[in-house]
Amino acid sequence: MRKWSVPAQIAISFVLLLLFLPLFLSQESWPTTARDILAEDAGTQTGAENIVSAIYLGYRAFDTLGETIVLLIALSGTMSVVSLLKRNSEDERTPVSLDFSLEEEKRAHHRLRTHLLEVVTGKIGPIILLFGFYVVMNGHLSPGGGFQGGAIIASGIIFFVLGNPHRREESEIQRTTLHLIESSAFLLFLLAALVPLFITGEVLANPFESKEVYIIALNTFIGLKVGAGISLMCISMIERRNV
Amino acid sequence: MLIALASFALLSRDLLSGIIALGAFSLFSAVIFLLSHAPDVAITEAAVGAGLTTIIFVWAIRHTGRDDR
Repeated sequence: MRKWSVPAQIAISFVLLLLFLPLFLSQESWPTTARDILAEDAGTQTGAENIVSAIYLGYRAFDTLGETIVLLIALSGTMSVVSLLKRNSEDERTPVSLDFSLEEEKRAHHRLRTHLLEVVTGKIGPIILLFGFYVVMNGHLSPGGGFQGGAIIASGIIFFVLGNPHRREESEIQRTTLHLIESSAFLLFLLAALVPLFITGEVLANPFESKEVYIIALNTFIGLKVGAGISLMCISMIERRNV
Repeated sequence: MLIALASFALLSRDLLSGIIALGAFSLFSAVIFLLSHAPDVAITEAAVGAGLTTIIFVWAIRHTGRDDR
């Protein structure tokens, strides 16, 4: 990026502006057919008041399945790169300190910063976690859903990790748990997609009487998967901070 | 405001302030998404843009360098 000179940057922004300007200035009205149909029928057909949820878990649930697989692959790639880096560094050095907070001897010098970080993140973490679960569970009614709530859950877990000083064994346990949650949530999502095949003969068809149950279940699985996956990724990256 | 923050993030020599500007950019765009009746996108933008990417970027400069060369 730095190699490009300033005139080149200005020229690129000018070209981009020229490309997108017709889009903003056009008088053509947007197509409304699909919008009207969705606004009318989405709630009753899929059981989700929130139209975004109705689309991505009702009409297009199969695409959502693919999306979670994309996330899984991205996660495995990141984890493999991170663990490769870790192995290389452990060959040369003594085992690194895995404390997220500062070490004991440094704590006295940075007392204010340490306390501020630990108190604030420790107190806010549970609230964010609760809000994340709320967003996941209410994904069919209010804005949000599995992916959004999962990201919020991940931030909550990262706050917990930043706020609580703990030792290596604990963090190993935590990572195994997160790994377990992530994989089992994906397995449950696959099961939820495949079980209706034997009941109704269609993949991802709703086997229940009440339509909301199925949407809530899918949202919960996605939320757990996204939350556990992203926080697992961030934790394993942060843990290598002393390398 | 958004354009100012974005160009600051792009042009600043200090990577850390660039990252903070990027987080503020995400926050402002989340507010704009909220004002244009897209609360789903606003939640995602606030959680991912302002929260997670900031953490990952800060982690990245910890391991490389703060100066943009």
